[in-house]
Amino acid sequence: MSLTSCSGCTSSLISLDVFPQFLERTKLVYFPFILDTEEIEDCDFALIEGCVSEPHQVDILKNVRKHAKSVYALGTCAAFGGILSLSEKKDAEPISNYIEIDGYIPGCAPPSKLLGNCLIRLIENKDIVLPKKNMCMSCPLRGKMDLILNRPIIKMIPDPSEILTEEEETKCLLRKGILCLGPITREGCENKCIKFGMPCEGCLGPVSKDYVSNIVNFLSLINLSHDLKKYKGLFYRFSKPNIKR
Amino acid sequence: MIFIFKVVDVCTRVEGHGNVNILIQKDEIKRVEFEIGAFRGFENFLLNKKLLDMPRIVSRICGLCHASQTIASCKAIESMYGVEIPEQSVLLRRLLMTGELIKSNSMHFFFQSFPDLSLIFNIHQKPLDPYELIKFDPQLTTNLYELIKIGNDIDRIFGGKSIHLISPIPGGIIYAPSRKNVTIVKRYLLKALSNIEWIIEKFINLFASLSPPEEYNLPNPTFLALYNESGSLDRYLGNLRIKAPKSKPIDFSINNYDKYFNKDSGLMGINFNEDCGENVMVGPMARYGILETYNVDEIITYLNNFSKEWKNSVLFANVLRLVEMYVETKQALVMLEDPVLNARVPLPSLSSVKKKIGIGVVEAPRGTLMHQYRTNGKDEIVEDVKLFIATEFNLPIINKMITKYAQGLYEKTGDTDLIKKKVQLIIRAFDPCISCATH
Repeated sequence: MSLTSCSGCTSSLISLDVFPQFLERTKLVYFPFILDTEEIEDCDFALIEGCVSEPHQVDILKNVRKHAKSVYALGTCAAFGGILSLSEKKDAEPISNYIEIDGYIPGCAPPSKLLGNCLIRLIENKDIVLPKKNMCMSCPLRGKMDLILNRPIIKMIPDPSEILTEEEETKCLLRKGILCLGPITREGCENKCIKFGMPCEGCLGPVSKDYVSNIVNFLSLINLSHDLKKYKGLFYRFSKPNIKR
Repeated sequence: MIFIFKVVDVCTRVEGHGNVNILIQKDEIKRVEFEIGAFRGFENFLLNKKLLDMPRIVSRICGLCHASQTIASCKAIESMYGVEIPEQSVLLRRLLMTGELIKSNSMHFFFQSFPDLSLIFNIHQKPLDPYELIKFDPQLTTNLYELIKIGNDIDRIFGGKSIHLISPIPGGIIYAPSRKNVTIVKRYLLKALSNIEWIIEKFINLFASLSPPEEYNLPNPTFLALYNESGSLDRYLGNLRIKAPKSKPIDFSINNYDKYFNKDSGLMGINFNEDCGENVMVGPMARYGILETYNVDEIITYLNNFSKEWKNSVLFANVLRLVEMYVETKQALVMLEDPVLNARVPLPSLSSVKKKIGIGVVEAPRGTLMHQYRTNGKDEIVEDVKLFIATEFNLPIINKMITKYAQGLYEKTGDTDLIKKKVQLIIRAFDPCISCATH
């Protein structure tokens, strides 16, 4: 089911290779995108997309929790708050602020392989498993990573004329002065953005619970330009600073 | 005291959260509104963002029309920097938009339109759920599911990710497809073509000889869409065209849009001037209404199976959504043969903003989508954002149709439950995109 979202996670789910198998091996009880059922019934598990931004959504969540043996946050909005965290006027809270959850499948949208594997485990009644390391550990540019401290970081996105893709002679984006959030972001997307020459924007969310310390440590290693320091939504694009984790 | 009684029902099988509100006063329906869920305020939190950061954020407006959102944003920004993107990038953007259209339209046909059409034309007494649909016609569901996958995979290959793409950036597309990937996509598209043909023929066999119910008739709509002088379906380039009933079409540059329609930044709702009239409509019906023909022989033959009544019914949009998939798949196959596609072409540098206001427009699957940004010029920070979204254009005509129909039905039956059900069918025929509309 969906709360405040773009429906991208639902659309990812439906387009998975394993979705027909998922339909075959489960019985959907509630899925407003494709079913007319209006009441949530007892079920083995629930996947929830979207963040909590409206008061009435809390009741919906509690109702789901009451009926589902396990509840999972589907995507970064449900897991951490998501893109609406950029808003100063709107709430963008992860569902875990209101109900107990059994796990989350992060990503904006969740990478197909990760989502497919999680779904299979759910059908087989197993817990989902997420990669535990940060993006750099699997980065194709890792060999060219920079260990020099205090590297000046002056851009959040490279100029189009400077973008080099994986196959071309390129180096760690941080070394090129581009803010890549790989060091503080969970791996699991096969480093897609980086392979396209774009920095990681952190959509898979933090690699550890203590995101604030991760940011502080990261900031101590780089020298962020004045322009970027005052820019809002670099580190808190997909979660608000004050959310409980 | 005036007592207004409000009946609210949640819309099911729409993309996002929508309600049907029925306002009853003195035992008479005053108004029926399709109310879209929580407004998220993108126009507000996009302020003070860097221009180059915009496309990644606006993509998150919608998980179905994300390619259109990103590409409209890139076009707006490119117009501000005054850069032309390489021909290769134009081809790839068109291919990404085709992937998006195939996926979005086949999802709509699978989960919304086919179950609704079977109910409307009394083939089934209730809308089929996916399980029943698989049993009813396994070939149809297989064909549709393959199409969803094909659309998804085209965007994954050319866009880097299937949802919220990586490759489209202001300045072009960061990707030169390998020959291997071009061959894979070509195979997908050939498969898509035969699946779509099968579905169109199935549609004709099942429904074309029947008459669509009156409540789906459009009230003299004024069409609005991008129009390219080549006269073929083009959702990427062109001027805007308005075509009101019994009037000559009006063409205008997107830079002059505010002579015809406008909106207040940060607020919902588009205001139209008198050239547009009250019943503006965007989307596949508008694109067809403006083009008049797709210039594809087999499509002309297919469309000849449909009566005049069909062509004035919003249910015809279901036919056109299939037809557009077919036309664009054919166009995409031609693009894949273009040698420009494989070249490694450098993208232009975005050195300085030349124009403080930039407008980018594309035809999203559901209709005209336009982004307008204003920047402070010096540090390329956005000061004002206006997003014109297809479903927002269509809201007034949707509300007009459902109100008129509900009033008649209430007089006859007084049954609000029946109204709620019937009205949802009309709404779904428009294929509203609530995520987009709640930007």
